[in-house]
Amino acid sequence: MTEYFEVIDRDGAARIGDLRLAESITTPALIDDVLTDAGSLWTADRSVPDGDEETLTVLPHRGFPAGTPDEVQTAFDPAVPDIEYPTAAVVTPETAADHGTDAYVLSGGSGLVGHSEAFVDAIVATRESIPPDAGLYLPGVATPGNVATLAYAGVDLFDTDRAVVRGTQGWYLTPDGEFRLDALDELPCACEVCRQGIDEFDREDCLEHNVATLEAELAAVRNRIREGRLRDYLEGQARHEQWLTATFRRLDDQYAYLEQRTPLVRKAEITAASAETLDRVEIQRFAERVTERYRCRFDAPLVLVPCSATKPYSDSQSHGQFQDAIHFRGHVASMTSPIGVVPQELELTYPAQHYDSVVTGRWSETEIEFVVDVLEAYLESNEYPRVIAHVPEDYRAITERVEERLDREFEYTVEAHPTTDESLANLSEALAGKPKYRKRERQHNVIRAIADYQFGAGAGEAIFGDLQVESHYPKLRANDADGEQLAAMVPEYGVLSLTLAGARRWIESDVPTKRVEIGGFVPHGSVLAPGILDADESIRVGDEVVFEGPDAFAVGRANMSGPEMARSSRGIASEVRHVTEK
Amino acid sequence: MSQPSPEVYERGKGMDAHNQVMREIRSRNDASYEPDEPTRVWIDRDNTPDGVLDSLTIVLNTGGCRWARAGGCTMCGYVAESVDGGTVAHEDLLAQIDTALDQERETHDGTCRQVKIYTSGSFLDEREVPAESRQAIAERFGDRDRIVVESLPDFVDREKIADFREQGLETDVAIGLETATDQVRHDCVNKYFDFADFEDACAEAVAAEAGVKAYLLMKPPFLSESETIEDMISSVERCGAVEGCHTVSMNPTNVQRYTMVEQLYFDGGYRPPWLWSVVEVLRETAEEDVTVVSDPVGHGSDRGPHNCGECDDRVQTAIKDFNLRQDSSVFTQVECECERTWDTVCDREKSYSLPLAQ
Repeated sequence: MTEYFEVIDRDGAARIGDLRLAESITTPALIDDVLTDAGSLWTADRSVPDGDEETLTVLPHRGFPAGTPDEVQTAFDPAVPDIEYPTAAVVTPETAADHGTDAYVLSGGSGLVGHSEAFVDAIVATRESIPPDAGLYLPGVATPGNVATLAYAGVDLFDTDRAVVRGTQGWYLTPDGEFRLDALDELPCACEVCRQGIDEFDREDCLEHNVATLEAELAAVRNRIREGRLRDYLEGQARHEQWLTATFRRLDDQYAYLEQRTPLVRKAEITAASAETLDRVEIQRFAERVTERYRCRFDAPLVLVPCSATKPYSDSQSHGQFQDAIHFRGHVASMTSPIGVVPQELELTYPAQHYDSVVTGRWSETEIEFVVDVLEAYLESNEYPRVIAHVPEDYRAITERVEERLDREFEYTVEAHPTTDESLANLSEALAGKPKYRKRERQHNVIRAIADYQFGAGAGEAIFGDLQVESHYPKLRANDADGEQLAAMVPEYGVLSLTLAGARRWIESDVPTKRVEIGGFVPHGSVLAPGILDADESIRVGDEVVFEGPDAFAVGRANMSGPEMARSSRGIASEVRHVTEK
Repeated sequence: MSQPSPEVYERGKGMDAHNQVMREIRSRNDASYEPDEPTRVWIDRDNTPDGVLDSLTIVLNTGGCRWARAGGCTMCGYVAESVDGGTVAHEDLLAQIDTALDQERETHDGTCRQVKIYTSGSFLDEREVPAESRQAIAERFGDRDRIVVESLPDFVDREKIADFREQGLETDVAIGLETATDQVRHDCVNKYFDFADFEDACAEAVAAEAGVKAYLLMKPPFLSESETIEDMISSVERCGAVEGCHTVSMNPTNVQRYTMVEQLYFDGGYRPPWLWSVVEVLRETAEEDVTVVSDPVGHGSDRGPHNCGECDDRVQTAIKDFNLRQDSSVFTQVECECERTWDTVCDREKSYSLPLAQ
């Protein structure tokens, strides 16, 4: 059982942790100074040391270096004793299992760095085998250049070994690569030891700089995780070494691993500045839910419009002009890279109002193909009598390809630019004679569209069949026919937060629910992992979850994924919004 | 003599696993060898109890090591150099000796005072070298002063050694002890005997008025740099304390083909020892009452013991010099910046983080 490590915050597979020694350490971090090594069993039999709470004791181990055959690992893997004080067990991807220790030391790291495929396979296999609330230590490999990627993959604990060794070899390490000290004309750093200048700067200074830079990089990584923006950093920083770029690309291929760890919503904005942004879980998940869960409930022509830099789109000047011309006679969907297609009801839903992209008017083939695929799937799952494409010239590459693929014709209304008087008049003219939909219909459809997106296809009707909406967009309240509140819309994320009545509706519906089974207590404020007996696999950070136990029924927002809830023995699993005793 | 023998000794699942893996790895090798050609012959100079002598060194092709056929040692590729399928005939063995003698005549002025015979197995194992062949070979070299024959401790027997002593040859048995630490010999090297067996073999040699030269292996797989230094120092000390063992030849591992070590090396899990580690052990054991020599094969290459690439030849020269003089002041002559890196590795490398540097 994990006792001396706790996950505090998550950003994808990366975490902010607390190594709870006598003096606690916030991870990802260097742990050289707090390690006690009980010794290798290859050279002698070892007894378990007395240990203490000041240090993390690496239990007697047999390290298996890279390339150790599986048979040898199986035959020589020692039993791990169950110890009270903080301990770590040495494992490989093959031998990793729940040993009840607080941390796990992954052996053979030197064979992994530089090899993206082996690295990703090893980290994913190990993380999936050890408890989610235990720390993962990758010894002997961290550098200022690679540590952000290592943390992003899910490693928590590091040491200065590699940074020091490289320093003794005359390699000057920075987050953007390593340089021969004797080939540098000046020192690109202002750390204490570098301030002396390059003339007297020797290898001892170099290793000091390397360690200081590694520490600074780890602080940057921790800040990024807290902000929920490590990926945005990596898409730039990892470019400096090919294997690091290959590593985060390969991790994107491990979609299940990343998806389980990626939150449903975030405060932070996504920086859409590289081709890999399209591969992010947040982007893929939105596209998947819009095309598979969402259903348009308006009986109106579809009006495709370009996105705007201002978010939400409807706050922008251009969309204001479009809306004046459309005047509730068409259903608006914005086309955008990297999100794809955003129906008007979901314009607040993460990440539709949480990204900023590089706008040049030039689309890459990858971007075009992505939006084409999403729009094609969107039009296949939603029937519109007409499609009006009110888009500028650079969007035509997308719309025309979709027309070709679906063998249908769109109506084009833009002359020169979408906001010219002529274009707007064309748009208005295209909708002439169409009925205007009512405000109430609009509000109902927002609630139901978000419900589909958040809970699953059909949730809009299943949970909100008899709907009355109160208050003003975007702070809508959803009540049932009798006026009891079921949910409230959260404008920052464009999701719904349920009341107990809403939660009951949900679990009584046919829509898949995210249930957490808890023990005999009444949760207040939050539910801790040890109180959880079982949790639905599909739960993600930020999801609405329903708690059921012998003494209580509650609803809240998850801080952990379902698998993490079920397998953790420490940490806050979920906030609780409403609770009732049974 | 001791209980264990290569056929019956199965030391639990660790040894099963090692043997299974090594058999598989060795099976990838499809080279074969002629039975009437010795594997290798060369002439070098050795520090012996009678001083520094020229040595005719012969690696006989005898069908190879029985243990290696079962799987064998994790670092040893010499089985690959033996004849397929077992025994070499008496005539072929003597033909190999003749070839070696021809080579000596062609390349050396006069006969070497010492002859060393290795087999990549056990010269004293009669299934490898029958008594008849052993006696004939002893006779063939009766004109020399000293002879060294390689054997596992199981086969060291005063009667067999007598064949050489009767020719008036000062005789040493070369035993591949690898390390005095049983745990390392068993689990890392996958060699089946115990240090006690080595002690017994030394006693047999002493009874035949012969000596023993122990061969140690610096850095089997799974050990960190500092662990291997510690292991070698204590092994030299323990060998020196055994009566009859007058010389220790401590040899750094080189990455041989078709071995488990090679597999680790390919995957980034093995680095041969630093030459500084060899120096460290020689320096630390210089005062021991035993001659310590080292022959770093393949020094300076990735597959052999190496430092940074700048200083390898200089350090190797110092080691060779030490071999003949046994004076550790030879090492004060060599310095290099990479000593700091080696020092850092010794300080920090663990069995779970090796190799920490290339």
